[in-house]
Amino acid sequence: MQLLQKFKRGNSRSRFTGHSNYAYTTARVRAMKSKILPNETYPRLMNMGIYEIARFIGESEYKEDVDELARQYEGADLIEHALNRNLAVTFTKLIKISEGELNYLISENLKQYDVWNIKTILRGKYCKASTEDILEAIVAAGSLSYTFLSELATKSNYEEVVSELENTEYYAILRNYNGTNLSEIENQLDKMYYAGLFATTGSSKSKDRKLFARFIRIGIDIKNLTTLFRLKKAGITDPDMMDLMVEGGLKLKISDIERMLPLSFEDFIAELSKYTYWEEISDVVSPDMVSLIDVESRLKKHRLKSAASFSNVYPLSIVPIMDYMLSKQNEVSNLRIIIRGKAANLSDELIREQLVI
Amino acid sequence: MGVKDVKPTRSELIELKKKIKLSQSGHKLLKMKRDGLILEFFEILGKAKDVRTELDAAYEDASRKIGIANAVDGTITVKSTAFALQNKPQIELESRNIMGVVVPKIESSSVKKNINERGYGILGTSAYTDEAADAYELLVEKIILAAEIETTMKKLLDDIEKTKRRVNALEFKVIPELQESMTFIRLRLEEMERENTFRLKRIKG
Repeated sequence: MQLLQKFKRGNSRSRFTGHSNYAYTTARVRAMKSKILPNETYPRLMNMGIYEIARFIGESEYKEDVDELARQYEGADLIEHALNRNLAVTFTKLIKISEGELNYLISENLKQYDVWNIKTILRGKYCKASTEDILEAIVAAGSLSYTFLSELATKSNYEEVVSELENTEYYAILRNYNGTNLSEIENQLDKMYYAGLFATTGSSKSKDRKLFARFIRIGIDIKNLTTLFRLKKAGITDPDMMDLMVEGGLKLKISDIERMLPLSFEDFIAELSKYTYWEEISDVVSPDMVSLIDVESRLKKHRLKSAASFSNVYPLSIVPIMDYMLSKQNEVSNLRIIIRGKAANLSDELIREQLVI
Repeated sequence: MGVKDVKPTRSELIELKKKIKLSQSGHKLLKMKRDGLILEFFEILGKAKDVRTELDAAYEDASRKIGIANAVDGTITVKSTAFALQNKPQIELESRNIMGVVVPKIESSSVKKNINERGYGILGTSAYTDEAADAYELLVEKIILAAEIETTMKKLLDDIEKTKRRVNALEFKVIPELQESMTFIRLRLEEMERENTFRLKRIKG
């Protein structure tokens, strides 16, 4: 994924302050959204073999990415890397075309990729993975460019990586990394991302920003809920795990989570039935459930559904842009699920359950 | 030892009698050992069958779970998460003795881990990755158990084969040959005694 970009993307003059170009950006986004694959495509893809799907993707919006990467990869790997490359290019474009506050909102959202890439590089250095292996796992869809990230990946140890990031906001956390506390640092970076995201909701009283805030807060609720499920399933009731919880949820307040954390799995489920999210997951949750896959999949679907429900309400706001970003992520995710699922010989039923259509 | 090589002396006869007695008791002991090993083998065979079935099931489950994780989270996510693995599984090899057969005893540690001990952050990962990691940890445990049981089984089989060969050699070669030699010496000694008696009678006459 060779993107010739500067270290930091976007127009720094217009970041945080200044004029926001909502009309221009939303018009571009509308045009981009028209290229999103329609829902009826997925059942058709489900009836195809791997090579037919690969050909279909190779002839679609992803053609350029597939052609570019065809020398390096083949089969399902080629498709997955092409999808990721396209996602990175698309999101990078959003950062580039937006200005002012809008640019800030989009960039904060896409910081999840910066956090992901930094974590990947640190993990790679931790297990002494080769630069090529690290670069393969990078998706430069955030503010940090591929060129900068690949330079980071070539550093010989984590100390050099951390010192290169000295001028970024992540340094406050990364400076505490001592080579042994990776999971702690990863959790802090993720929390920092969510805190930044929550901060974007701000105190604006406009209706579109309220919807945006609602969407972000539902996302935080879902993150906390999945974390709680995973901890409960693993039998962890340690109060210290409150550090993993993200503040700013819509329905699940920190005090609610504090109350739920020491509960047993059964009691936790009983407590959860008092919240609105229960409707989404009630038929896949039981005290003796073995897998959390269905729960996570249902919650993901719920989040996308809630975003789609208000995407057309305020056409000149961050809302349709957010909806586009989610739709694009979802398209990439669905295509990957189909091609990887078929490559792994998963049953059609299982693949269909994971798709968000 | 061929019959021709045997010296037909009384001391040789006594020596042979001792050897036959020793061989017979050795034969009896080896037969007992062989039967014991066979019993032990069948007991382990049952366990090995169970472990193999469990191993196959664990492998299938792990393949399915990693397939789902690769599909939903993406292979790059799975790969990146795998980089963060903190404690690699450790294996300690000891040995134990089953009827003189030294078999391995494999002790493993750091295989099964809790989600907060794996090395990756919980917030940035998903239940798909957890379940794939869980399934692979279980698979590694089963592989270690299967390795112990199947190596024990192989060693027992080797020893049963060896013991069987020894029992057969004693039963069908060593003891019959010794008995043949003993019969030969006995007949030869009787013959010599008769010759002696005849010689004495001729001298007297």
